Amino acid sequence: MSDFVSNLSLGFSVAFSWQAMAYCFLGVSLGTFIGVLPGIGSLAAIAMLLPLTFGMEPTHALIMLAGIYYGSNYGGSTASILLNLPGTPSSAVTCIEGYPMSQQGRAGVALFMTAIASFVGSICGMLIMAIFSPPIAALAFSFSAPDFFSLMVLGMIAASTLASGSPIKGLAMIGLGLIMGMVGRDLYSGLLRFSYGVDELYEGLPLVAVALGIFGLPEVIKNAGQITGRTVKAKDISFRSMLPTRDDWRRSWGAMGRGTALGSFFGALPGTGGLLASFMSYATERRLSKEPWRFGKGAIEGIAGPEAANNAAVQTAFIPTLTLGIPGDIVMAIMLGALTIHGIQPGVSVINSHPDLFWGLLVSFLFGNMMLLVLNIPLIGLWVRMLSIPYWVLYPFIVAFICIGVYSVNSSVVDLYVLIFFGFLGVVMTTLKFEPAPLVLGLILGPMLEENMRRALTLSRGDYTVFFTRPISGMFMAMAALVLIWTIYGAIKARSVRRDHLREMARNLPDD
Amino acid sequence: MNSFITTTRRKLLVLAGGAAMATAVTLPAFAQEAYPSRPITFVCAFPAGSGADVLVRYFANAIQESSGHTIIVENKPGASGSISAEYVARSDPDGYTVYVHSGFSTAVNYSLWNTPAIDPRSDLMGVAGINEQPFYIVVGVDSEIQSIEQLNAYLLEAGDEATYGVSATSGRLLAAQYLSELGGTPVEVPYRTGMEMVPDVVNLGVDFAVTDPVTAMVQEREGRLRVLATGAGRRLDVAPEVPSLTEFGMDVDQMGVWAAYVPAGTPQDVVDTLAGMFQGVLETDDTQAYLRTMGGVPWIATPAEVDERMAQNVELGAYLVDLAELPKN
Repeated sequence: MSDFVSNLSLGFSVAFSWQAMAYCFLGVSLGTFIGVLPGIGSLAAIAMLLPLTFGMEPTHALIMLAGIYYGSNYGGSTASILLNLPGTPSSAVTCIEGYPMSQQGRAGVALFMTAIASFVGSICGMLIMAIFSPPIAALAFSFSAPDFFSLMVLGMIAASTLASGSPIKGLAMIGLGLIMGMVGRDLYSGLLRFSYGVDELYEGLPLVAVALGIFGLPEVIKNAGQITGRTVKAKDISFRSMLPTRDDWRRSWGAMGRGTALGSFFGALPGTGGLLASFMSYATERRLSKEPWRFGKGAIEGIAGPEAANNAAVQTAFIPTLTLGIPGDIVMAIMLGALTIHGIQPGVSVINSHPDLFWGLLVSFLFGNMMLLVLNIPLIGLWVRMLSIPYWVLYPFIVAFICIGVYSVNSSVVDLYVLIFFGFLGVVMTTLKFEPAPLVLGLILGPMLEENMRRALTLSRGDYTVFFTRPISGMFMAMAALVLIWTIYGAIKARSVRRDHLREMARNLPDD
Repeated sequence: MNSFITTTRRKLLVLAGGAAMATAVTLPAFAQEAYPSRPITFVCAFPAGSGADVLVRYFANAIQESSGHTIIVENKPGASGSISAEYVARSDPDGYTVYVHSGFSTAVNYSLWNTPAIDPRSDLMGVAGINEQPFYIVVGVDSEIQSIEQLNAYLLEAGDEATYGVSATSGRLLAAQYLSELGGTPVEVPYRTGMEMVPDVVNLGVDFAVTDPVTAMVQEREGRLRVLATGAGRRLDVAPEVPSLTEFGMDVDQMGVWAAYVPAGTPQDVVDTLAGMFQGVLETDDTQAYLRTMGGVPWIATPAEVDERMAQNVELGAYLVDLAELPKN
């Protein structure tokens, strides 16, 4: 306990310096800005700004980059709610309930609840990071191939069975993502698969290009040539209009708690992260709800849960990254790069040999989240006004930034072709109402899923029972089965409830 | 407009040159400014922020500070270095594009493709050595196997009951030669990176592993792995307690060599200038200490020595790829 206190006080001494505060503020403001703008995610922003940090103190560099990351998660939901465009991939879920709320004139409430849920999630995630980082570092070493495989199966089942659309389409998209994940060199044989002579695809499809293409470009392409389409007016969002009703609060607290728990758990596990956590939380809220038909029509718990989950995951994603050097998601992979550039070898050594960095960063999360609360509640009008920049000004900039961001990762022109391809694929998908998120999830998890399955079977000499007999793996498999059963049960129940509901309505119709 | 400038400049040259013009040989050299007159680009075959990128940036910064010339690092990852190697080989041979990379990996790549993009022996020229770093044979710290002798005995006894992890092509090649020399037949389990492999080595999911020097050194310092042997042909002063496989009668000498290369056809004086810049940085205590943290030893080598090593490694690579039965793409 005294360790904990002295660690925290070390963190405060680092994070309280004016430079650290300034970089933190710069990071979260930039993050909110980038998050609000649809199309540019934190990923591209961090990739683009990484070179600028070369001359900075490592701690300051990390504080700023981390600020961009979690800041963008606050900002990302603003565009989701107001325009039905996710500013960042993980705020895609917020569109489902947020946009209907804004159509009902309750955008202010949605924005307010988003900020509160994000804050609650972040602070809890931060506390969990402080308490669990040292023990989790030890636990993760007992994870082996079957455990990773089962964990990813759980993630995929969870992600595909929840639906803002049809679960069949979700499964199809995961399948397509898994197939696309096969492009590139097969780890086992060393042979290239589905690269058709393009050496640039050796390491697989470039993830940044795919993600930016599929999440960023479609909106731009669809709206090209249209002059109007904006409905947002800054003055609509007064502080008074932001205050939730007592009923809103009642519905949201539980959702925030569950979301935080889910987010903290999935954020800390490598390979999953905010996107999955927010989807899981949404699915959970919908399953738990006594009035599932309210979902998709502006149910506030469908915002509070995922936003808390997403932000808790963003904080706990730093646990494997800083304790083990294993990135929790693709942004964390770039974050690790930032560490190594500054001469810090990721590993448990980060906590032990750079305690000032670890605890300083942690405490900066506290300050950063407080700044974000101010930026996103009293100053929300500023960001909303930014959304009223006309498309014809905004979109060329977005396209330019996306291209720069994609090119800067590998300095490869092929990545730009991939970007364009997935941009148009994204247009086709949104037109046919296919969700892009499961596809990207499949693409990220595909190679890991395949490699871990083959690895597990190699180690067990082809014995498939290994996935069920190992305790950790068995637990995940059981959870996956539960989610499946729950989904099927929920679908049947929702159907009968909806049928009763319709029958009730039909009965109340005045008969002519 | 263009011709106007050209004429003016030529006139100026004639006017000012005077005596120098008498010797016609100096004309091209005179028109060309002394190397380097613009920023030099170091090409890195790994993504920004990766372990190897740090090494390239270290040299870029150090040379920029010591020489006062601007150095830019350009990351061109992909196809395990083939893309960047081809990019450098096809660049103008003027000394402004320098490839800072593992020469061993470049040499092995030549044997991994049916139609290699470049022949590193004729398309690249060595400039200066950087460091030599072998892969290492490691076990989890809780393993009953405490030494390379015990590992050898265990592998011979266990046959294909045993398993081992490898990361990267270099790891596969070292494992293949070690096992062929020993006569062991454990089952191979590949991993993408050394770090990804660490948990399975620690929790004894695999009996041993062959991993990159940085992972081996860092994880040993953290108390998770025990380093049993080096793939180098001799003990290295960076880890003098770690034996080489040659001490057990095995003919294994695989040494990753980091070096700087330029496109073939680069003028000798430019190569020499560049070599001087690298040499100056390499000789400092800071650099030597830094290179040792990467699990390797500094390698001071002339351009000719770098070329010679490349030729040897292309041959060794062809032999090892064959031995490990790696398919060609």
